Amino acid sequence: MEPIIKEIHTNVMEGNVTSVKANVQAAIDAGIPVSDILNDGMIAAMAEVGHLFEEGECFVPEMLIAARAMQTGLALLKPHLKNAEVVSAGKVVVGTVKGDLHDIGKNLVAMMLEGAGFEIIDLGTDVPAEKFVEAVRNQGAQIVAMSALLTTTMPSIKNTIDALNAAGLRGQVKVMIGGAPVTQNYANQVGADGFAPDASRAVATAKELMAT
Amino acid sequence: MKPRDRVLMALNHEVPDRCPMQVSFTPEFAARLEKDMNLGGEDKIHNPHGGGNTYELERSLGQDLLLTSVGWANSYYQEAKEYVDEWGIGWRSAEYETPFGVGRYTEMNIHPLAEDNAIEHYQAPDPNRPELYREAEWMLKTFKDEYWIVGVTVTTMFETAWALRGYERMLIDFALKPDLAERLLEIPYQYHLTAAKKLTQMGVDMIWIGDDIGAQHAMIISPKMWRKFFKPRMANFISELKSINPQVKVAYHSDGVVNPIIPDLIEIGLDVLNPIQPASMDPAKLKQEFGDKLCFWGSIDEQHTLPFGSADDVKTEVQTRLNTLGKKGGLIIGPTHHVQLDTPMENFWAMVNTIQQTPYSTL
Ligand code: B1M
Repeated sequence: MEPIIKEIHTNVMEGNVTSVKANVQAAIDAGIPVSDILNDGMIAAMAEVGHLFEEGECFVPEMLIAARAMQTGLALLKPHLKNAEVVSAGKVVVGTVKGDLHDIGKNLVAMMLEGAGFEIIDLGTDVPAEKFVEAVRNQGAQIVAMSALLTTTMPSIKNTIDALNAAGLRGQVKVMIGGAPVTQNYANQVGADGFAPDASRAVATAKELMAT
Repeated sequence: MKPRDRVLMALNHEVPDRCPMQVSFTPEFAARLEKDMNLGGEDKIHNPHGGGNTYELERSLGQDLLLTSVGWANSYYQEAKEYVDEWGIGWRSAEYETPFGVGRYTEMNIHPLAEDNAIEHYQAPDPNRPELYREAEWMLKTFKDEYWIVGVTVTTMFETAWALRGYERMLIDFALKPDLAERLLEIPYQYHLTAAKKLTQMGVDMIWIGDDIGAQHAMIISPKMWRKFFKPRMANFISELKSINPQVKVAYHSDGVVNPIIPDLIEIGLDVLNPIQPASMDPAKLKQEFGDKLCFWGSIDEQHTLPFGSADDVKTEVQTRLNTLGKKGGLIIGPTHHVQLDTPMENFWAMVNTIQQTPYSTL
């Protein structure tokens, strides 16, 4: 691996925005393939951070700063991605469901998905069913990713799935869900296609859903 | 047995007649309960962290603790749909629907210290205003003979600081701008310390501090970070209160997982840990490991059992808790947060009745 890619990897993991910016620019200037910078530098670093989080070795602040560093690098790479024929892993609309304002878990899921090469449409918090439906209809989202942190707002997951059905769109999207009170059992019960207990495993779930 | 004696015995690791109980509700659940109990609903709502409790409701239910709150947490659930509180923090409302009706949560959406330099000119409210303590004064005079009185100063440091700054921004500050993070924490810390000292001087039995640093399966920040930013301040907070009144008890609230720092909490003199979310920490294990040095408060699950379980499930959970976490005292039992609107009334009554109808002598 090119030493500069190694540096990008380390600096993303450490959340070092300024260095990532400099490293990525230097790598682009040196003519290193954009897909290497992305895959071996940034995506691999985020996967490792996600793994450490899963293992309880790293916590929310460390994950947030790594994601910020990754986003800075990604912004520099974006103009080059099309030419380099780097294909998106998929388009995901994420949001915290109606009535619910907890956002850090949802943000981490969005960041990890972005860090794994997915395109993200983030609708924020307190998102009504119609907004998810619109994003599928008008923006071509392939996965609807819903977060709910409250038992009182879990019914909004089911309402959104019903709305996707009513709009005739359920067949063309996958639905994945998560959040503190949400379980695989609940996902089965409401007819979601996937569930993940944390942001790192949300990436694995999204990849599986795209493959089926 | 008087409620206050029941609590005092439990907190001294002695066995009272039954386990003491404390329950709070969202305003919507409180309204349903008042109807169910045929209460007038004329009593003024008090507001520890936005709950819908009234003293009338608490006393009619046979609760053993009465709470009076001073601090930023009282900004929750103001009447207007949108408002700015006296800290300059902006709020909005979000509606949700349950099988038992529609409810509303209030949440922060404007953070006055979002810009790094805004702190230079920030003026926090004055914690010395006499009107802040009138309710506590009245409460102590009216109820202290009978009840265990708790002075609430939750959202003590982290939660108020992040409301001023923004949640994600504050978490990033811990990692990237530690000096700013220290200054942000200091603002609510000083305010709530002043309030807690005053309440202690006035004669409350226990001070309840709180900051959520646990998520469902892990701490939100690392134990190391907690030890750097929070432990010294909490240690000082507790010791200042105990130097005013060595008998005063201190309870601490954090949702979710906090096992890694429990030895630290014991070391700095904490008496009671709340709310013990059973899906996050195993209550029986906690009792085994720490039960001789720490008391517990809460522990009835409201992420599964109360809203989605049967009345029998609730009864079983209460009994299990009394036999484990509450064994030989050391427990104030109740739900792990305000009872939410999605809770069936029969589950609520199964909880209250099982607590009240299970004397320690039968366990
Ligand atoms: C799409 O696919 C996926 C896949 C995985 C997904 C996913 C989606 N979404 C999440 N994941 C997963 O990946 C993430 C990263 O690994 C994880 O996300 P999490 O979000 O779980 O984890 C985050 C990284 C960190 N976790 C958190 O930030 C949540 C922590 C706790 C302490 C929490 C917090 C911080 C807050 N709260 Co809230 N809060 C609690 C929480 C306790 C707990 N046990 O979780 C909980 C969720 N709260 C609760 C309550 C009751 C409330 N809260 C409220 C408010 C708040 C704050 C505003 C103070 C704050 C949120 C601030 C914010 N901007 O997000 C109120 C509601 C506001 C609203 N409308 O949403 C209010 C209703 C209080 C009230 N007024 O009565 C409880 C819910 C109980 C229930 N019956 O469901 C609670 C469990 C605490 C408790 N003691 O019981 C995984 O779940």
